[in-house]
Order: sequence, then C-alpha cells, then structure tokens
Amino acid sequence: MGCNLDKLTSFKDNCGFGLLAHLKNKPTHKNLEDAIVALERMMHRGAVAADGKSGDGSGLLLSMPDKFMRKVALQSGVDLPKLYAVAFVFSKDESQLDTFRQYCESNDLKVVLNREVPVDTDALGEQALSILPKMTQIFVIPNTLVSSKRFEAMLYLARKEAEHKLKDDEDFYIPTFSSKVIAYKGLVMPTTIRQFYIDLNDDDFKISFALFHQRFSTNTLPKWRLAQPFRGVAHNGEINSIEANRFNVEVKTESLKSEIFSDEELQRIFPILQDGASDSASLDNMFEFLMVNGMDFFKAARSLVPAPWQNAPYMDHELRAFYEYSAIRFEAWDGPAAVSLTDGRHIGCVLDRNGLRPSKYFITKDDRIFITSEYGTVPFDEEFIIDRGRLQSGQMIGLDLKNGTLLKNDDINDYLKSTQNYEKWLNNNMKYLQEYVEDTFLDLSEYKFDDITSRQKYANISYETLDQMIIPMANEAKEPTGSMGDDTPLAAFSSKNRNFTDFFRQKFAQVTNPPIDPYREKIVMSLNTGLGHTYNILEENEHNSKRVKAISPIFMKEKVDVLVDFGDKNSSNYDPDYKNRFFCTTFTTDIKKALEDLYEGIKLAVQEDNISIIILDDRAITKDKKIIPAAMAIGYINQHLLEDKLRGRVSLLSVTSEVYDPHTAAVLLAFGANAIYPYMMYASIVSFFERKNISDYALQNKLKNSAKAINAGLLKIMSKMGIATVASYRNSSLFDVLGLGDDIVQSCFKFASSDLAGLTFEDIEKRIEKLHFDAYFNDKTMFPLNMGGFYKYLNGGEYHDYAPAVTKAIHNKNATKKEDISDFKGLKSLIENRGQKFIRDFFEFNSDKGSISKDQVESKEEIFKRFAAAAMSCGSISIEAHEAIAVAMNTIGAQSNSGEGGEDPARFNTLKNSKIKQIASGRFGVTPGYLVNCEELQIKLAQGAKPGEGGQLPGAKVTEMIAKLRHTTQGVTLISPPPHHDIYSIEDLAQLIFDLKQINPSAKVTVKLVSTIGVGTIAAGVAKAYADKIIISGADGGTGAAPLTSIKHTGNAWELGLSEAHNSLKANHLRGMVHLQTDGGLKTGLDVVKAAMLGAESFAFGTSVLTILGCKMLRICHTNKCSVGVATQDTDLRTRFNGTVDRLISYFEFLADDVRDILAQLGYTRLEDIIGRSDLLKVIDDDFARKFDFQNILRRIDGIDTCQVASNVPYDKNTESKKLLKKVINTIENPVKPIIIDYEISNLNRSFGTLTSGEIAKRYGDDGLPEDMITYNLTGVAGQSFGTFLSRGITLSLDGVANDYVGKGMSGGKIIIKPQLQGSSYAGAGNTCLYGATGGKLYVRASVGERFAVRNSGCIAVVEGTGDSACEYMTGGIVVILGETGINFGAGMTGGLAFIYDKDRHFIDNINQELVEAIRIDTDETELERLYLKKLLQDYEKTTQSHQAEIILENFRSQIRNFWMVKPKNMSVLPLNPDEGD
Amino acid sequence: MLNFTKIDRNNPSKRGVMERIKDYKEVYNIFDDNKASEQSDRCIGCGDPYCHNKCPLHNIIPAWLKQVASSDLELAFNISNETSPMPEIFGRICPQDVLCEGDCTLNETHGAITIGAIETHISEKGFQAGFKPKFNAKKIGKKVAVIGSGPAGISVATFLLRAGIDVDMYERASKAGGLLTYGIPGFKLDKSVVQRRVDWLIEAGMNLFTSCEIGVDKSIKELEESYDALFIGIGATKGRYAGLDGDEKSHVHLAMEFLTKVQKRQFGEDVENYIDVKGKNVVVIGGGDTAMDCLRTSVREGAKSVKCLYRRDEANMPGSKKEVINSKEEGVEFVFNVSPLKIEDDGIVLVKTSMGEADESGRQSVNIVENSQYKEEADIIIYALGFTQEKPKFLEELNLELDRWNGIKVDDNCQTSNKKIFSGGDGVRGADLAVRAAADGKNAANSIVKFLIK
Repeated sequence: MGCNLDKLTSFKDNCGFGLLAHLKNKPTHKNLEDAIVALERMMHRGAVAADGKSGDGSGLLLSMPDKFMRKVALQSGVDLPKLYAVAFVFSKDESQLDTFRQYCESNDLKVVLNREVPVDTDALGEQALSILPKMTQIFVIPNTLVSSKRFEAMLYLARKEAEHKLKDDEDFYIPTFSSKVIAYKGLVMPTTIRQFYIDLNDDDFKISFALFHQRFSTNTLPKWRLAQPFRGVAHNGEINSIEANRFNVEVKTESLKSEIFSDEELQRIFPILQDGASDSASLDNMFEFLMVNGMDFFKAARSLVPAPWQNAPYMDHELRAFYEYSAIRFEAWDGPAAVSLTDGRHIGCVLDRNGLRPSKYFITKDDRIFITSEYGTVPFDEEFIIDRGRLQSGQMIGLDLKNGTLLKNDDINDYLKSTQNYEKWLNNNMKYLQEYVEDTFLDLSEYKFDDITSRQKYANISYETLDQMIIPMANEAKEPTGSMGDDTPLAAFSSKNRNFTDFFRQKFAQVTNPPIDPYREKIVMSLNTGLGHTYNILEENEHNSKRVKAISPIFMKEKVDVLVDFGDKNSSNYDPDYKNRFFCTTFTTDIKKALEDLYEGIKLAVQEDNISIIILDDRAITKDKKIIPAAMAIGYINQHLLEDKLRGRVSLLSVTSEVYDPHTAAVLLAFGANAIYPYMMYASIVSFFERKNISDYALQNKLKNSAKAINAGLLKIMSKMGIATVASYRNSSLFDVLGLGDDIVQSCFKFASSDLAGLTFEDIEKRIEKLHFDAYFNDKTMFPLNMGGFYKYLNGGEYHDYAPAVTKAIHNKNATKKEDISDFKGLKSLIENRGQKFIRDFFEFNSDKGSISKDQVESKEEIFKRFAAAAMSCGSISIEAHEAIAVAMNTIGAQSNSGEGGEDPARFNTLKNSKIKQIASGRFGVTPGYLVNCEELQIKLAQGAKPGEGGQLPGAKVTEMIAKLRHTTQGVTLISPPPHHDIYSIEDLAQLIFDLKQINPSAKVTVKLVSTIGVGTIAAGVAKAYADKIIISGADGGTGAAPLTSIKHTGNAWELGLSEAHNSLKANHLRGMVHLQTDGGLKTGLDVVKAAMLGAESFAFGTSVLTILGCKMLRICHTNKCSVGVATQDTDLRTRFNGTVDRLISYFEFLADDVRDILAQLGYTRLEDIIGRSDLLKVIDDDFARKFDFQNILRRIDGIDTCQVASNVPYDKNTESKKLLKKVINTIENPVKPIIIDYEISNLNRSFGTLTSGEIAKRYGDDGLPEDMITYNLTGVAGQSFGTFLSRGITLSLDGVANDYVGKGMSGGKIIIKPQLQGSSYAGAGNTCLYGATGGKLYVRASVGERFAVRNSGCIAVVEGTGDSACEYMTGGIVVILGETGINFGAGMTGGLAFIYDKDRHFIDNINQELVEAIRIDTDETELERLYLKKLLQDYEKTTQSHQAEIILENFRSQIRNFWMVKPKNMSVLPLNPDEGD
Repeated sequence: MLNFTKIDRNNPSKRGVMERIKDYKEVYNIFDDNKASEQSDRCIGCGDPYCHNKCPLHNIIPAWLKQVASSDLELAFNISNETSPMPEIFGRICPQDVLCEGDCTLNETHGAITIGAIETHISEKGFQAGFKPKFNAKKIGKKVAVIGSGPAGISVATFLLRAGIDVDMYERASKAGGLLTYGIPGFKLDKSVVQRRVDWLIEAGMNLFTSCEIGVDKSIKELEESYDALFIGIGATKGRYAGLDGDEKSHVHLAMEFLTKVQKRQFGEDVENYIDVKGKNVVVIGGGDTAMDCLRTSVREGAKSVKCLYRRDEANMPGSKKEVINSKEEGVEFVFNVSPLKIEDDGIVLVKTSMGEADESGRQSVNIVENSQYKEEADIIIYALGFTQEKPKFLEELNLELDRWNGIKVDDNCQTSNKKIFSGGDGVRGADLAVRAAADGKNAANSIVKFLIK
C-alpha cells in the first residue's frame, strides 16, 4: 500500500512455552503452581522490561477448575448444573458485555452469573496498567435441550457472533469461552501472574493440565489480547506461510459443509480467521474451528502441521497415504513451530517438519508430564524423573486425558493411518500426471514459432538472457552464479524494457524465522502440486481424494496435453471434474478493461460450464496484440475468484512466455498460479541448439535440465522464507511490490507488501506498447535479439552504477600525484549526474539553515569514526586486499570488518587487526581468541547479495592458509548454512547476543539485516534482544557470489529499510538503545549525508572499497580468477594485486571532505545533528518523481534520532557467572595449581563458562590454559549455551542434563554430562550442540537433540544418541554415537569422521548420502580406526561410567561389527591420531 | 572461458620479412579455428566489458569471443556484423592497442585478448562458410545519397540498406573505398577485402557512381532535390606541410599523395608524376600510422634506405605499436627526438629534442636541445603530419555551418545545420580513425531512419 505506517508498529512473536498435564487427569493445585514455576524459569525466553514487571505478556490455558468455579458461583448464589461454561472476557465497558450476553441468549445459552475477576493491579507495570481491560467471567448454562446437546457449538457460535459484531472494538476480547478450559493471561510477568490473578492462589483452584506461554514480541506496544495461549493453541515459532494459509482458508470456506452447524450458522461464523490476528492466533482460529466441527484432534493437528512425507521414503506407506490424503485438503502451516494444543479432552504438542523449535519433555514419578522449551524448568531431583526426551522434527506427543493414556509419536501415527483406508482411496481417485506421460520433451512442435525472435524480444529474452540464464540452465540444470551485487535501477525507475516480474522483490527470513537449506535439507521440501476442486475439508471420504497430482508446478507440452485430455469429452480419460478451457491473455488496448473482460469470461465459464482448469494462454501475441503481464493476469483473476467465492472450484495453469528463470516462476506461484507451462523458455532452448546439430536425446535433456533448474530455483526461493512445500508457498504473496500504483496493487496483489506506489495501469500499458513496438517493428538484421545489459554493463543497455566510466574514474590511470590516484571529481560528477536511478536520487536537500564556512564543520577525523569497511572475509578476498583494508581503516580511525572466515592471530594487536569480527552461519574461525580481539562483534543474519541463502567455498579455494584460519582441511569444500543454527527465532538471537556479551563483555554486538518491507519490525525485536547496533544492508550491495536471480531480485534498497527501521525503532521507543548503520552502494558524500538524514549513524562501504583496491567489476569473484588479485586465492593472481593503503585512505579523505562540504552548505556543523532529519530532504521537482509516493521513506515521527546509551545491557546480568569468575581469576592469571569448584546449576545459568573462557582467551588466545586447570563439578540442569566458546583448560562436569547449544563454538576444554537416566532412550542435552566447535571434548552419556555437531570442525564427542541432521556441514572433529540417530545424517558433511553404533541395522536409511559414505571398520584396513575408537571409548567409559560404553567395551571384538564409520566420500587421509583417544 | 591463466596471448603469425617486403600482400595470417578458439577462451567476460565500452562501434566483443570459443561461428558472425559495418576490415586496420585491446582488463596483467585478429577470423571464416551480411529485402521507399565512399560512407550505406532505405553513393575516385582503398597499403588491408564489402552493398541494391565528383560532375542542388536525405562523408584529405624553408622543393612529398599513387599503380592505372623511391634514401617525417605506411611502402618500392624522423621518443608515438615493430622488422630505421628545421636539396636539417612535462592528455611536451643541429641525408622527404579537411565548392553552395578548420558542424545525431543533410567521419572531426568514421556512419544512419520514418 502507499502508506506503510502500520508496519512500524507491527510485530512478530516468539517465546518460551510449554504444557503440564496429569496423566490420569487428576486436578490439583500443585499442577497450577508447577506450571507457573516453569513459566517463571523461562523468563529469559521472553521480553522483560527494566522494571521487571512489564513484558510482552504471558498466560495459562487451564483445564476448567471445576471445584473453584462451583465454589465462587455458589458464593454468588448460583448452584451450577453439571453442564456449564465460563467466558473470560476482556472489555472496556458494560455495553460490550451486553452485546456478548445478547448473543449468548440468541444462541440458546442462559447467562447465570457475571463475575468480576479479582485482580491486584500492583502486579502490573505502568504500560500494562494504563491499558488494563475490565475482566469479567460470564457463566452460562444451556437454555434448551438443543443447546445442551450442542453446548460447545453454541458457545463457539455465540462467541464468534459477538466477535464479529465488536470486531472494531480493540478492547473487547474473549480469551476463552468453554466448558472445558479457561485462560488466565495478560500483560503480566510469570513472576507476578499469581499476584495479579487472585483466583490462582485459591487452593481449590485445581487443574489437571495447563498450557503456558511467555511472549517475546518484536515491538514494544504489547496488548492484553495478544498474550498466549489462545483457546486451543500455544505456539512458539513463526508461521512463514501465514499469508498463503489465510488465503487458502478463505478458499476452503467456499465449500464448507458442517455436521455440527447449519449453512446459515456457518455464515454467522465466517470468517473463520479473525482479521488482524497474529500468525499464532490464526492457527488457533483454524484449529478451534476444526475441533468445534468435530474433526479428530490428532488428524487436525497433523493436517495443519504435517511431518515431511513427500520425500521421506523411510516413512510407513500407510502413514504416507494419510498425509497425502490430508494434503489434498490442507497445506502445511509451515515454519518453525512448537505447538501445544488442546481440545479439553486431548492435549498434545507437535513440532514442525524441520525441528526448528525446541520441545522437551519429562515425566515424573507422580504421573505428570511436562513439555517445555527447556529442561529444568521445574526443579526436580534427578531421581524423581522417570523419563526424559524431546520431540524430533515433525513428531507429535499427546495425551488422551479421558483414558489416561500417553501417546507417543508412533502411537499417534498408528492411529492416524488406521482410521480410514487412505491408500485405497488414493489408488482409486488420485491421478498422477506423470503416469500418463510416457516421456517429456519428445514432441517439440509447440516450441517452434516463425516469429520466435519477435516473441523472444517481447519476453525480454536477449542474447544476455540466453547466454547468462537460459542456456546455462539447459546445460547445468541449475541457475547460474554471479558476483558483485546489483547496480541497476528498480524496474519502476528504469527507462529500459523490463520484465513485469522485476517489480517484485523476493522476501526472505531473518531473525524471527530461519530460512531452510534446500539442498542439504531437501528431505523436508516438496514441489508436489495438486490440481482440481477444493472439497469440504470437514468431510473425510473417498470422493474427496480426487485430485490430479504433479511432482512439480513446471509443466511441458506432454503434461498440458494430458491435463487437457482429462477434460475432453471424447477422451477415455474424461472426467467432468477436470473440465478445462483456454483463455487468451492478449489484448490490443486498455489493459484494465482487458483484465476485467478476461475475468468475466472466466467467471462465466466456472459458474455456467463448471470449468475447473483455467488455462491462461499468451501464445496469441501478434503484430497487433500484446500480452497482459502474466503476474498481473494471475493476480487479478486469483483475487477476484476469491472475492466471488469461486477460487476453490478452479486451478490456474499459466501458459506463458514470461517464465524463464526461477524468479519469474515464483512470482506467478506466489500470486496464485497452480502450474506453469514456460513454453518460451523451451522454445528458446530449441532454437538455440537446433542449429548446433545436437541429437534429439541431447536436446531433450537440455529441456529437462531447464525445468529442473527452475524447480531447484523454486525450492531455493521458498526456502529463503523457510517454506518447505509449494502448496504452502502458493498464494503467499511473499514479495515486496515496488513502484506499482495502488490501483494495480489493490486489484491484483493486495495481499503483498508494497511501497513506492507509482505506476498506473496506463503507465504499464505505455511500457508494454514500447516493448511491443521494439519486438515487432524494430527489426535488426544480422542478430535479431537485443543484446541485453541487465546482468552486465552494455552500451545502450540498462544503467549500471559501476559502469566502466565509474570504475575508470576510480582507477584514474593518468594520475601522477598521490591525491589524484582516483579521479574523485570525475566520480562525483558521474554519480551526481546519473539522473533518477536510485531512490536517493529523487531527493534533494531542503535545509532550514543558511550555509556556513567549512572551518566550522567538524573535522574529518570525527567523520572517519562513522566509516567502516563492509564485511568481506579473508577467503572471499585475498589476504593482501584484506590486510590493506584493515590497515587503512585503522590508520584513519575507522573500522574494518574481518568478514567470517577467521583472522590470523598474528594480526591481533597490530594495525592489521579488524576491529569488527563477524559471526555468520558457518562459524568459520569463530574461536574465543577471535571473539575477544575486537571492539565489535557482528552477527550477520543476512547478506545483501543473497539474503536467506547459504554459501559455499569450493575446495579449490580452500588453500592451506584459508584452511588454517577456518580450522578446516585444505581442499575441503566449506558450506555455510542458510540459517544460523542457533537462531531460529528472536529469543534465540537474544541468547546468541548474550553469549557474545559473555565472551567479550567490552565489545558491542551488532546485528546485520537486509532491507525488506517489515525490517523495522525485525529491527525493533533485535533491539529488544539487546543488540547494540543494527545494520540495514541494501540488497543492491553485496560482493559475494550468489545465484543470479538472488542478486537481482531479493531484498530492497537500503533507503527503504533504513527509514523503516529508524522509524520503527522510534515508534517503539527503542531508537535510543541502539546504533543504526547502513550500507549498499554508498560512494560519495552525498550518499553519506542522505543516509544520515534517513537515520544512519554510521556507514559501511564494500564495493567502493574493493574498487579502490583495483576491482574492475569483472563479476567473476566466484571463479577464483580475479585478474587483479582482489577476490582470489590464486598465488599467481594475487601478485597482480596493486591496491594500496594510501589509495584507500585517499578515498576516505575525499569522502569525509565531501561530507564536510555538504554539511557546510546545509549550515550544520556536525553529522550527528542531521541524523534522522528526513525533513531536510524533499522530493525533487520533476514530473517523473511526482509519479511515486516517497512518504514512507521521508516520514519523520517524533522522538530521539540517535543512540543514547553506551551499551544495550541485557536484563539478565549473569551475576552467578561473575561471582564464579572471581573465584578463578587468580588461577587464570597464574595457572599453576588446578582449581576445582562445586556448584549447583539451574537452567537460569545461561552461557555457563563463557565469561571465564573470554578472560582466558584475552590473555592466552586460543591456546588457553593447561588441560583441567579449572574444573567445575556441577549438579542440576544447565541453562542454554552450556560451555559455549569454551577455552582450553576448563572442564565442566555436570551430574544432570543441559539444554540447547552445549559446547557451541568451543575451542578446547571438556564438557562431561552425566544424567541419572542414561543411555540412548533418555535425553542428556538439547539441540545444536557443538555448533562451530573447533576443539575440545564433549561426553554425554545420554542422547542429544537435533543437529548435533553441526559445523563441528575439531571437537571430539561421544554421545549415546542424536536427533535429526547430526553432523550436518561438519568439516572436522570426531563424533561417536553409541545409539540411535535421526534422519538426514551427515548432510553437507565435508570433513571429520563419525562412528555410529548401529545394533538394529537401520542407520543406513538415516544417512544423507550426497557427500558421505558409511564403511565398516572390522577389516584389516581399518585397524587404525578400530584402535582409535577403542581408546576413545575407554576414556569415555572411565570419565562417564556409561553402561552402554561398558557393554560395548566388554565385548569389543563382536561389538565392533555394529559400528559404521561415516566419512566424506572424497576424503582419503583420515584425520585420526589414536593418542587423542586417551 | 577465463583461461587467461593457462594460455598466453598470441598474435597471429606474420609472413617472413624477406618474403613480405617483396609484395603488397597482407603481412598477417588469419587465425585458424583452433587458435581463434583458444585465444578467445582467455576472455573473462567482464561485468564491465571495457573493450566493448572503448570500441567506437561498441562491438559486443565478449559475446563473439565466447561464441568463437564455443565454436559457434554463425552466431559470432551475426553478432559481430550486427554492430559493425565491416568487422573484417577493422579487425585488420584498427589500432586495437589503443582501443579495445588497450582497455582489455587483461592488458596490464596477462596480455589483452587478441581481439582484432579474432574479429578478422570470424568474418573471413564466416564468408568461407557461406555466411553473408544481410540486408532488408523490404524497401520502405526512401532514398538517400551518400557522398564519399570511405569508411563513413560505407557504414551509413550499410545501415541504411539494412533498414530498407535505398542508397546512391557518389565517389570522385575511380574506385570506392576512399581511405580504405587508397590510403591504407595493401600489406595492411588487401584491396579485394574492401571491394567485397562494396560489392555486397551493390548486390543489396546500392547504386555506386564512381569518378563522379559532386559540384563538378553533378550539382549538389540536384542531389538535394532528388533525395530524401543526404550524407556527406568526404573525409579529411588535405595533407599538411611542416612549414619549413624548402617545403616547396621537388623531393618533398605528402604522404597521401605518395600512397595513393603507389596504390593506383597497383591497380594498374596510369599514374602521372609517379614518386619513384627505388634506390633512394627516403625519410618520413611523423610518427603516426600513415608515417608507418609510407615507410613500409618505401621499403616495398625498393628504397635504398628508409628512415623515420620523429620529434618525441618511442613511448610517445601515436601510431600502433605493432606497426612500429613491423616497420623495424622490415628494415626501417627510427630516429627519435629530432625536429626538422629546414629542407635542403640533399637532405634535411634537424635539431635534437628532449621530453618535458606531460600535458592533460598524458603526452609529454618537446624541448629543443641547444646546439644540436645536424643534417640527415635524404633523396626523398615525405611528410606524414596528418590531414585537414578540404572545403569543396559544393559545401559553400549548401551553406552548411562549418567550424574554423572547415569541418562540417553536426549535432549528436550527425545532423548538419540543414536538417536533411547528415555528415560524419573525418569531414566532421578532422583526421581520425576509420572506425570512428564508421561509428559516425552508423549513428547517422540511425538518425536518418528516425528522420525519414518520423
């Protein structure tokens, strides 16, 4: 929309959550007390304000405390009958309650009591108190026989009606209205919830189960109504696919029939989802609707949050049939999610398919189960616990309270698959397209056109598009890679012919949700596409399994033919459910009218002729006819079909010339296309290769490759948002629409975010006319296509900001004097005269002061302090370039950034030391020594070139030096995962920030984000997670290698993100807590001053720095062939490096001087005084500029504009760790005599050992202390990040269990975890242990969570079982697992070794075999391995007294046959040293 | 691609010196397929293609290099011929070392791609394979007169014919090609190569009127009335004298006079006042490509000795480096840092110079060394000191705006003060490179198309 003001205060939330239940359904007051204790002990997972009273809300969803309710009713003279319900209502006034009561009565419910809920407002923080609603409990009973039978239904109906009626009253909210459950929640802290709700102190308040939740919202404007749990759900995580889910719920609504409600009642209920609700609330709405309509509890849960089944061959076939059937009716609510659910009788917890949230359970001797985000939330003795475990990816655990049975994942699955004969239903009714197609691309007749060149020109297929995109896809079956970012204007600002899909910028996950790795975790991903009607989701029968299925939404002639054949009355395959019709999407004039006409035709066809497959075909383009852009047509039709409640009756197939890369395909899918037939891509390939005399078979493979490449690209684009299935991506609108006017956005893309509202239908039509003229009337003779210029500079092509003239000015070859090394004047004039190419070019200064003399302006040294070099690792660029940057920046008092990839310790404490050390998802070289040698620690959440994606450093580039710095092996490919595996949500980020503030308390912690609409919300959350500085990176910057469409189409310019973040922080009163920096294509003083006015306090430079050092924008960084020695590790090429420190300094002097000139001209003496002063900018006086709406960027809201604090100090002061540090500081300073300390630990002690490790690293670097110099003997449950960044010399020995991130980044030392319940069936530590560890030892005599030893590059570990994806991306170290592992073992593992004890012989199925192989070690050849393993196990057994190890060692000769050794396939020399086993 | 780290730059092979100085055939051999492909494979395919940017025609050099590397000759041929009216000619005669190859990213570190040689290879091999330049068969019914058949004229004609516009070309000499035919010796550019291009234009419907001088054989008014537009590409053909005592002496000649006469005799024409250098001591004054042409022609004409006299040092010479090398190979003697003072009957009096500060363009100034006069013996003295525009009568008649050197004034679209008349090349810019003239011709053709179609 034009105005994104509401975005500034919008929010995303994550949290700590859990549930507690008595297995035998026995209500006690103790249950309530323990639930509150558990909640209190997860406070660090929520947000806490400085007063300790204000937070983002918490709450409890409890079984109805029957005894208590009856007691209080009786006190008011009401003797409740057997059947009654209580509504908990938040309201502003009596009239709202009246409305509610009226709806109760009109639904046959009798109100018997209005009870004012007693509260103690002293428990509230100021803000919570100021918006405290009136709290009333309204007791109702059935009024008639009917209502007693349909009591729950009537409660629901009455509540929904009241909600609809009062939907505009923000203050009216009904937490629960049920006979089974009641919620007590609000803007209270877990520590004060009992003080606030006086009811909770009554001993008669007895409950048998509780769901509890503490919220961490990204904003600071919490509301009472937003507290969780909801009516049936408490959710920790984020639903990435929420937009698509909401759209699809509306589609499903069209065909709903209920056994519980009449059609008329359903109409009163709709919409199912409340407007403006959070993702969790929407999920709750949906789940509740299914429950109240009688859907099975477990089926509903598993339909909304299914396990991955499409690419899970190990899954039971009947269970798979259940999922396949349920996928017809429901798409996954996809994203990191641990969801607790209840319908009053059942209670359960389900984890997302990727296991991205923690969910741990334990069962106590007194028959109670606790499921929480962490272990140790209720302090019990180890003896009191009889079972301890955790949910793995995609698993569910449940309780049937009526029967008192605990249902573990397998029990639930057995139940699900046996309730119906799903397999038979599917066999009879599901049509798999591929079964009807013999082979694809046999018939090429549809790919030949007489006027193909005109058609290609119309589709913007240039020589460059063919050469850089289409042909590489046909050859390699994957999207090509590029480098050095994007320096071209937005489509809206461009004067060249651009694709309509260029107006759409891909969205990506950062902080509040993680992206997925579509390569290493493809097991969870799927492009499975269904076509046909949407059926009544409430009815489970054979007919509803009718569906046409395809393995991908990318079709070819053969598949389209089959689909058309299904709808052909004369065909033997005819089925009236699949009647189809072609609709031509060409037009002559008046595109808007053409859209309306097109839609009217479709509507008629659906209503009158029951057409269910709509085929939108643009092939009728001629000299006289143009094409309606496919995305516009799809968006318009999709949206209008929904409005007319017809969307569920049809599927949309787009036959389009516009799709020839993954981005174009993704746009169509996100706005509603079910499938795509990209015929022009195929035609282009055919016409290109036809001349080359390749065989039909080879050509067929090229065509198949192109479709494969699009598929792979789609997975990548979906995974960037953390969405695993195309069903959940379709209709998601997950793009920022930039530059299209509100009329277009409203009628075609209204669910998408949009900004820079500008071009109208008429403008687009004019552009199309020009395109059409060029295609059909502007013939060239020798080579008919346009040459391009979009990816790389070409004369006459798209504008490039780093065109040859610019780089030439920077490299001024004619210079004879040092100060002329670059022709800055020339550069400045080129940049300032480029016209309106980037957003900032549309602004000019509008100073409120007269100019002053330059002498009055602050010195350049003051300005230098605000400059930093952008992160570029020593690995991506040469060591020469890396050091030159460091020296130059340090010399002028600015900052250089190590990038992630380690730094040579020899550089520490010299002019070559990078003041900023980066922490990225690969954690390469991130050791205690690295972390303490800097003044700023930067967490890179995303990078401009490819936000939401991981990276890869090919083995060839991993030289000896690089390998040393990264603690890996020379020649071994290094993979950086898309997400930080310790940041799946905002509270995780808070934990990592906390970790970093422990290891290096004096460093500022920075979080780097990439600009996108909504980044303001994220920035506010990051500020609340105690970051000191936030960087908003422009998507146009970015020097790294990335897929071409990612470089071109993901993320936004910094102007948009910076202003949004700045204003959002202000709106949330957080601006004063954090510093704001920006980067992305900054070149001159003008850029710096404009960025300052939009809110940036400091500025980073990447591309310009490289260019000064000699980069010529070759865009070949990814090839290791940089001929100027900047971005290469090649020893010969590095000798060509001719960049100098002087050149860089000279550039920054120019910049600072330029800034000073501008400040003088504006009449300001300090940069500080113009930061955030967007009022000093105005839109230029220009017709083209007037087309666009810049209000979101130039907006200035009240409040302070700059950071006011030295450090954003966490609420948790970690006083325990500080105390412990004092005890050992002497030993650290004078390490002669070992020291042993006994300590009782709890889950509140987070990052245990990290503060001490930092002190050691400061003095001794990564060498640490002698082994066992400091030993902590601990008992209890350790908090998050136990032993994170542990230094050598520390031993942590724990009698108990630990939570997530044990030994993360440890470089030495030992961690020994010995829970009472030992062995593979019990849990000993949480998720993501040893992430990025470079050394040390970890022993756990129980099993550990998901992603064990992810990116381990040196630690030696022995555990007794793991969750899914163990040893992912591992590059070194040794892992021994003496029990079960989960699936996807060794994905992306390029180094190190693992030994797996596999007695039951099913480990092989769990291996991701792409890079690793498992071999036996009971052969002559593997003597060394056996010896090593034995020694290690002996040490393990001695240290932990593990029963499992004892059993194995007792019979080692025979047991050795149960071991597998997993090693990377291409590893020939094993990194084993048997002596290390001792 | 990107094989520059493994493969070194190679120039095409040359014919042996003793063989080549005996005739006027081309010195360079054309790359064979393997060599062309191997050399092309060195290309980086830069994000900023500096070669393409520097080329006055903006040839899409990286694109055809890539296609040559992958052996798609047809595609390379089409892309190469799309932007250039005669790539095989510019491949031979362009000073690549100051244009595309000079700007090649690899030039300073690994040796530039041999762009010129590959460019020639593409078209020559393409012609052998039967590819031909294409022209628009559909005529739009407009007619343009082109005055002058040099690089600018050929270029404008080519692009007009591609757009379906009829062209009549007028040339005062007996053969078309202008400088390409008469100014550049055959050992650099075989005359059949120029004729081939002209023939294709005629095949495409162009009418060529040779030996037809406008203002003499045909009036300019007649042209103006009978054509929809005119293009004037008359070059800059007036040679410069040094302005010394003795310039008027009979053994002093101008470069173009010398070269044209030699070329005419090559064509078998009768040449009046032929300048015979056989057995004589020849000195050529100047350091540009034309000087090299004179020197090397003199060698082939059998001169006793051939010397080049140049005011600056070798580093400051404006001509192609490779032509200097070729000249040296062929026995030319270079005398640097000498400035002529006067012509005497048996030679030329010179003074020695030294190099001073560089000016804005990077060229160093010249200082005279005192008391360093000496005399160089010479029987024939040739001035190769550049050219200026002539001012034929018809220009006066048209009343076009001219600059102070008699250059025709045009706007960015090559349009003169008379909207119907377009111009470009040396006639506008003064003596310059043939490729710049061709770029003007292309630009003018585009403007004429827009002017005529509106």
